Amino acid sequence: MATLLETEGLTKRFGGITATEDVSISIAAGEIRGLIGPNGAGKTTLVNLITGIYPPSAGEIRLAGERLTGLPPHLVARRGLLRTFQVCRLFGNLSVRENLLLPYLARGSAALAEGSARARELLELTKLTRLADAPAKELSGGQRALLQVASGFMLPELRCYVLDEPFAGINPVIKEEIIELILEANRSRGLTFVIVSHEMAIMRRLCHSISVLAQGHVVSEGTLDEVAGRHEVIAAYLGKGWA
Amino acid sequence: MFTTELFVQTLIAGVTIGVLYALMALGITFIYSIVKMINWAMGEFYMIGSYLQYMLVVSLLGPDLWYLAIPIAGLGVFILGAIVEPILIKPMFTRSIERKDDYATVVTIALLLLLRNLATGLGGPYQRTPGSNLPTVMLGPLPQSGARVAAFVFALVAIALFYLLLRKTWFGLALRATAQSRVGVETAGVNVLRLDQMAFGIGVALAGIAGALLAPVFLVFPTNGVVTTVKGFEIIVIGGLGSIPGALIAGVLLGVVESLGAAFISSPYQNVYGFLLVIAILLVRPTGLFGERGRLV
Repeated sequence: MATLLETEGLTKRFGGITATEDVSISIAAGEIRGLIGPNGAGKTTLVNLITGIYPPSAGEIRLAGERLTGLPPHLVARRGLLRTFQVCRLFGNLSVRENLLLPYLARGSAALAEGSARARELLELTKLTRLADAPAKELSGGQRALLQVASGFMLPELRCYVLDEPFAGINPVIKEEIIELILEANRSRGLTFVIVSHEMAIMRRLCHSISVLAQGHVVSEGTLDEVAGRHEVIAAYLGKGWA
Repeated sequence: MFTTELFVQTLIAGVTIGVLYALMALGITFIYSIVKMINWAMGEFYMIGSYLQYMLVVSLLGPDLWYLAIPIAGLGVFILGAIVEPILIKPMFTRSIERKDDYATVVTIALLLLLRNLATGLGGPYQRTPGSNLPTVMLGPLPQSGARVAAFVFALVAIALFYLLLRKTWFGLALRATAQSRVGVETAGVNVLRLDQMAFGIGVALAGIAGALLAPVFLVFPTNGVVTTVKGFEIIVIGGLGSIPGALIAGVLLGVVESLGAAFISSPYQNVYGFLLVIAILLVRPTGLFGERGRLV
């Protein structure tokens, strides 16, 4: 399958600290890629680099062959690469519906009808229809996480969706709903996903392959079962004495 | 001496001027909400609004068409703000500036000095007035200055339009979302830097409109924005930084407290009553009436 998202030698330094170094990954169109690693491995930094939040110190990012390196986040999003945040960044004072419609803001009022129809579908799919006009801050933590993930599906040109810890701290019912959303979008639209999570059981269900990060480097790649037994992965999680 | 008539008249005067102060405060708090910076040069945009009003009325439109000059002055200040923002403010976000607050403080104070000195250099230090041939208005048995009543009515219209822009338009939705999370809006594909430019223009235009409306009341001179700016900041402390309803309510509150204090205690200390109110609010509620601790969203 053709490569959709690739990074080459991606490095980010904050002063004297190197958060990621020489990270090269290649993700195929339609793939669900997991990104795992112990805390501080550089997963969120990598997500921030890919989505334009941080400019890289070195290296390249390409989406379907187009260079994204150095583009601001809104232009990265317009090219179809979207993300969610580990700390849910919903707009608490806006209604649930308005939160969903945000990706349409840059498109002018002509796209409004299309956006509204899509928002209605997503509200039904996420069972949030009855809360559509309530401020998002009134949602439970799980519902917020669900809404955050769902809002990305509003972006018409979405090709690659990066989810940073989408399952952290939410109840099993909503976890299942998020899993279903991801699987359905992957099946029906062929969407590519990059998922950062510590929930290995879910990652096993969802991900076609896994990249393991440790101390800013990719130390292993393969299916979850393949990487789980590798020395470098065990060492990254448990220390070198266990590997 | 206390009379009910004097009390009501003073109250009306306080509310009238308070709404105009609130217009200024709205501009400051709106820019802060979106661009996350304090614009210390707001008084100078107020001053430019008042000069534009003066020039339009005296040289072009004449005193009878003073009301046409108000939106033109507001538009002029908006355009100036939209030109200034990409040059001075945008680098705060596009370059690796660590202390954005400090940067914004330095550049807007530099802008303040530049605009004030330009006004003095170009127009001299003189006090001017566009004049007003509006008759005194009777509110019940109480006479009110026509210019003040007109300024009050126009300020209410400006505030209503601003409210409609924020609440009823797509652009307003983008602005409200940006006030809550700049990164969140950016990652939804919205160009936040363009919104900053528009927000800065709108914020300074509110100050410019206040300047244009008060030109016949407080006169036109290079430092005429100082007092109103100080009031604007007092209002923000009272109402809470980043709170638009807070700016409105605190504006009226400040206007009323100052007017009542001046009328019934001692008029030379008019400005002191406002500061006493600020101190009282800070003691009781340090975040202001409607402010939030560590406003994030």
